[in-house]
Amino acid sequence: MTTLTRQDLNFGQVVADILCEFLEVAIHLILYVREVYPSGIFQKRKKYNVPVQMSCHPELNQYIQDTLHCVKPLIEKNDAEKVVVVIMDKEHHPVERFVFEISQPTLLSIRFLLLFKNHSDTLLSHVEQLLRAFILKISVCDAVLNNNPPGCSFTVLVHTRDAATRNMEKVQVIKDFPWIVADEQEVHMQEPRLIPLKTMTSDIVKMQLYVEERAQKT
Amino acid sequence: MDELYLDNIDEYVNDHDKIVTYKWLSLTLGVHVNTAKQMLYHYLDHKRKESSAQLHATYLVSGKFEDNGQTGHKVSVVKEDQLEDFKSKMSLIVSVHVYSVQKALLKDSGPLYSVDYDAVKDNLKNCSKYSAIRCASAVPMSSLELQQAREIHRAPSPEPVNKKSGMNGDANVASKPSTKPQKGIMGMFAKTASKNQGNEKDIKQEQKEESPVVDAPKSKPAAKANPMTNFFGSQTAKKLNKAEKEEETAPSSSSAEPQRQSSRPEEKQEAAAVEPIKDTKKDSRSKTKRIVDSDSEEEKMDKKKRRRIKKPEPDSSDEDVIPDSPQQMETRESTPSPKKEVESVSHSHQGTSEMRTRKRRRVLKARVFVDEDGSMVTEKGYESESYSETEEDVQATKQAAKDPFPAKQPASNKQDEKKSQKKTSANANKGSKQASIMGFFPKK
Repeated sequence: MTTLTRQDLNFGQVVADILCEFLEVAIHLILYVREVYPSGIFQKRKKYNVPVQMSCHPELNQYIQDTLHCVKPLIEKNDAEKVVVVIMDKEHHPVERFVFEISQPTLLSIRFLLLFKNHSDTLLSHVEQLLRAFILKISVCDAVLNNNPPGCSFTVLVHTRDAATRNMEKVQVIKDFPWIVADEQEVHMQEPRLIPLKTMTSDIVKMQLYVEERAQKT
Repeated sequence: MDELYLDNIDEYVNDHDKIVTYKWLSLTLGVHVNTAKQMLYHYLDHKRKESSAQLHATYLVSGKFEDNGQTGHKVSVVKEDQLEDFKSKMSLIVSVHVYSVQKALLKDSGPLYSVDYDAVKDNLKNCSKYSAIRCASAVPMSSLELQQAREIHRAPSPEPVNKKSGMNGDANVASKPSTKPQKGIMGMFAKTASKNQGNEKDIKQEQKEESPVVDAPKSKPAAKANPMTNFFGSQTAKKLNKAEKEEETAPSSSSAEPQRQSSRPEEKQEAAAVEPIKDTKKDSRSKTKRIVDSDSEEEKMDKKKRRRIKKPEPDSSDEDVIPDSPQQMETRESTPSPKKEVESVSHSHQGTSEMRTRKRRRVLKARVFVDEDGSMVTEKGYESESYSETEEDVQATKQAAKDPFPAKQPASNKQDEKKSQKKTSANANKGSKQASIMGFFPKK
């Protein structure tokens, strides 16, 4: 049914937009809370009707935006399994990994699509509420995490399928923002401790956030 | 039985890693806020004695604070380690209580607001059920009353401006924020309700506004409350306050205008004068006079948002009010002409209530005469001429050169009397008998 596929695409884009916006806010907040960058560059802004910290540094912002711009097509096609924000110490060994596991319902029934169209407001405000809870959880996550050593840096990894990377390449060339296959050492951590932070289930997306932390950080 | 709450709080704090604020606790457990505060205090005490987990707390401190000789009431949320330091800075401490308990050390105050957001949103209609702030006469209006109030509010706006001649009735319509809570609109018409509203919202805003580190003192508890939410709650307050302010500035400016005969045709400009409302100036003035049932602090934050000219209160008795001269003087300090305009303004204001006075004004007129060579010369010059308010002209807009009024006159100005012609100084000088530009607008 052609109508269905067109709806399908729009819907996928809407969800991808929502998720990418959320990931941007989440990444900024993680950088703030984990003190990857000095708190002076952060500024209070509003998202989902609550205050969040976003960085003012233009290059950092551009980097994060470019990253997410490349990830968006993967999310649209539901190819992105996980988006991981890795915090690494000076020797580029990961100390913390914030893992966002994302999954979207694959079977978009007609009934569901109609539901989305008619009640998109309530649906979206419900999603907003859930995302707000995520934001809150990230803000207080340092209760459960040990402090990071100084001089940390961060990077973003995406777990996806081979076929999908070929799609990504087109976007990368346009944006001049190349992605490379991650090193083994960035992906796997020694002696990780798993700390779940938050889970959310909604009609349009399911997301889980947990933190893998290295037992000894310094 | 009484110890159950300790376990509850323990569960929230330790197992769920929540930030437990007193407001959230009171809404969750269904207890009065004061009880919730005490619960938190006992819990903290208990845990500290056991010295088991690492707990952090924030406190709400309110009291009098001296700053450069000015005393103000300050309310702040402070972290525990800054508590003693902060308390010692205050001259008089009115209240100190536990604001929140959490496991994590908070870096900034953002999460404190987020925590309560959902709980309050769910209980929006009765979020003051457990609150300690009460006003017996604050009752939400029924929807019928609300409708009526709305209509009344809309009706006066098309009316032409009166004694505060030229002041825009409801230019605020343009600057309305896009979303307002229903209560905000109701608060606009119920002054007492608005006060309660303001208070309630103020408390909520406090936690948003306060940072763990104390900042500049506030003159009133919620002076910096969110301007958007209090926008409508204090609209009436602002109107009343403006009337008051202008009354008090009237005496001062009246001395500056000895003569009132030389009036200017462009009184309307004075209307625009109000437009560049200097918030800071109003701030200082507003402190001196208070309308009985309005919250001045709400007004302060409204100033920034509100750019309309206030509609004068029908019951403000002082007819001598010179509405805008003070502002005028501020905005055009350099030119002496404002003074003259002020004179004309004041004069016209005086007359507005009667609606019809004869005035003198300077009009650009062309005089034709025969000079010594025998040739006819046409000279344009300003001449005094008396006219009555009922005449409509677009005369002498060259005057506009002298009044550097901001060209931004809200379009809703159409209700101004003819003399409040748009100082769109682009108007060429037309003959006195020509139809005026105001002819397009309905005559008052």
